[in-house]
Amino acid sequence: MIKLRNVSKIYPNGARALSNISLEIAKGEFVFLVGQSGAGKSTLIKLLYREEVATRGQVYINNANLIRLKPHQVPLVRRNIGVIFQDFKLLPTKTVFENVAFAQHVIGKNKKESKASTENMLELVGLGRKKNAFPSELSGGEQQRVCVARALVNHPSLLVADEPTGNLDMETAWGIMELLNHINKLGTTVVMATHAMQIVKQMNKRVVRVEEGKIAEDTAEGAYKFGF
Amino acid sequence: MAFDSAKYVLGQSLISLKRNIWLSVASILTVMISLTLLGSSLLFLANTSHIAKTFESQLEIAVFLNDKLNADQIIAIQNNIQNRDGVAAVTFTSKDQAIINFQESLGSKSLLEDLGGVNPFPNKLTVTATDARQVQNIASQVLGIAGVDKVRYGEGILEKLIVFTGWLRWIGIGVVAAFSFASFLLITLNIKTNLNFREKEIQIMRLVGASNSVIRWPFLLEGLIIGLFGAGLAVILVGTGYSWLLQYIVATLAFMPVVADQMFLMLVLFIMILSGMIMGALASVFSIRKFLEF
Ligand SMILES: Nc1ncnc2c1ncn2[C@@H]1O[C@H](COP(=O)(O)OP(=O)(O)O)[C@@H](O)[C@H]1O
Ligand SMILES: [Mg+2]
Repeated sequence: MIKLRNVSKIYPNGARALSNISLEIAKGEFVFLVGQSGAGKSTLIKLLYREEVATRGQVYINNANLIRLKPHQVPLVRRNIGVIFQDFKLLPTKTVFENVAFAQHVIGKNKKESKASTENMLELVGLGRKKNAFPSELSGGEQQRVCVARALVNHPSLLVADEPTGNLDMETAWGIMELLNHINKLGTTVVMATHAMQIVKQMNKRVVRVEEGKIAEDTAEGAYKFGF
Repeated sequence: MAFDSAKYVLGQSLISLKRNIWLSVASILTVMISLTLLGSSLLFLANTSHIAKTFESQLEIAVFLNDKLNADQIIAIQNNIQNRDGVAAVTFTSKDQAIINFQESLGSKSLLEDLGGVNPFPNKLTVTATDARQVQNIASQVLGIAGVDKVRYGEGILEKLIVFTGWLRWIGIGVVAAFSFASFLLITLNIKTNLNFREKEIQIMRLVGASNSVIRWPFLLEGLIIGLFGAGLAVILVGTGYSWLLQYIVATLAFMPVVADQMFLMLVLFIMILSGMIMGALASVFSIRKFLEF
């Protein structure tokens, strides 16, 4: 599913975010990326949906080599990857329904096609009854659920999440984690960067710890030790 | 691109144009002004050069010959001039004919007698050039031929005319360039405003894998629409303005050799439309170039 080989990322300003990272994630896995702020988690996530391109090394998603991608192929690869963030990035002038449908319209699906899948997805994230609300009328947790629905509505095989619970209180965060876990059970691979150790601890998933741009630790499901 | 994407693209362009309606109007008006200037300059230049050509082609060189030359020598000089590059025709006017012509123009019948029987007119060759710019060159060559006393042509006037049309051309190009640049800036401003407005939307579109064309086309279309609207207005202005001017000139200054060719007018209007579209598209591409490289 995901394969990084000897990947380094140096930003144009010279900042060295990742040094010689190799990592493999299988289809259907749920993986946490942990590590201190500035360790390189977000950079690693960005390489996965090709927001950034590795300076050295190879990045494969579903056997597509992201380094070799031609510009017109980038959108096609992205359609197979859902992304959610700490800040939700919803369009404030669109309703919940429209925000989710938008993701389908811009890749060429028509209104009829998109209506059913939008409604199904909103049901899945538990927002079926708020589809006509505007983002400003929703709580943080609900807004993140809309983002999850939008990220998944085109049925990507991979969901990447960069601190998706960073703006939420613990209880709401757990709601989102349950949702992500459920989605993972349905077959979507999930890679989530976080420093909410409470969550990592209880979820018992594979944990990859990044430290100063290197992989300091890669622990299989259920074996992560909390030494801090 | 799927039909629904096309609908989305067109919808977005129109929404953008409406969102900054005053900026859009200003952009369209500057495009209109620059293209009106472009069209007018083209028509003006075509007319001045047409007028210049017409007048230039009427310019003649008068070559005055020495009285001592005999008929054979005159014919030799005539042939000599005739064979030179740029010479269209050489005609001979004898001194006898010249005084008769002059006498007639004065309405007199006894000019030669009045002058005491001495004809002051020399024999004359009249030379026309194939190209007005050759006149001066031919004149100086002819002056060097033995037996030629004096050469006269529209000295000064011709040079001034050529310099004048040259200047007009440059001023026209300068003014058109300045206004085109202003239009370009305004369209760019228009698109950049919308780009900022839609930054988040574009970010999300890229994220969910909208194709690059779906992201770019609303902006390209926006520029094209501004260019086309501006060009359309300019075409109406220049088209009706020129037709009206033609009628007026033909009615009042019938001797003016104006360009009344409909095909030429159509060509100019077509060039204006094309320039409008190019202007709009260029401004769009320029404003969204950071989105062109993924
Ligand atoms: N766009 C950028 N340009 C330059 N340097 C960056 C950029 N993004 C991140 N960095 C640098 O790369 C390093 C890793 O950052 P990041 O991947 O955001 O870490 P994390 O998400 O783990 O906090 C940091 O030193 C950061 O300053
Ligand atoms: Mg980060």
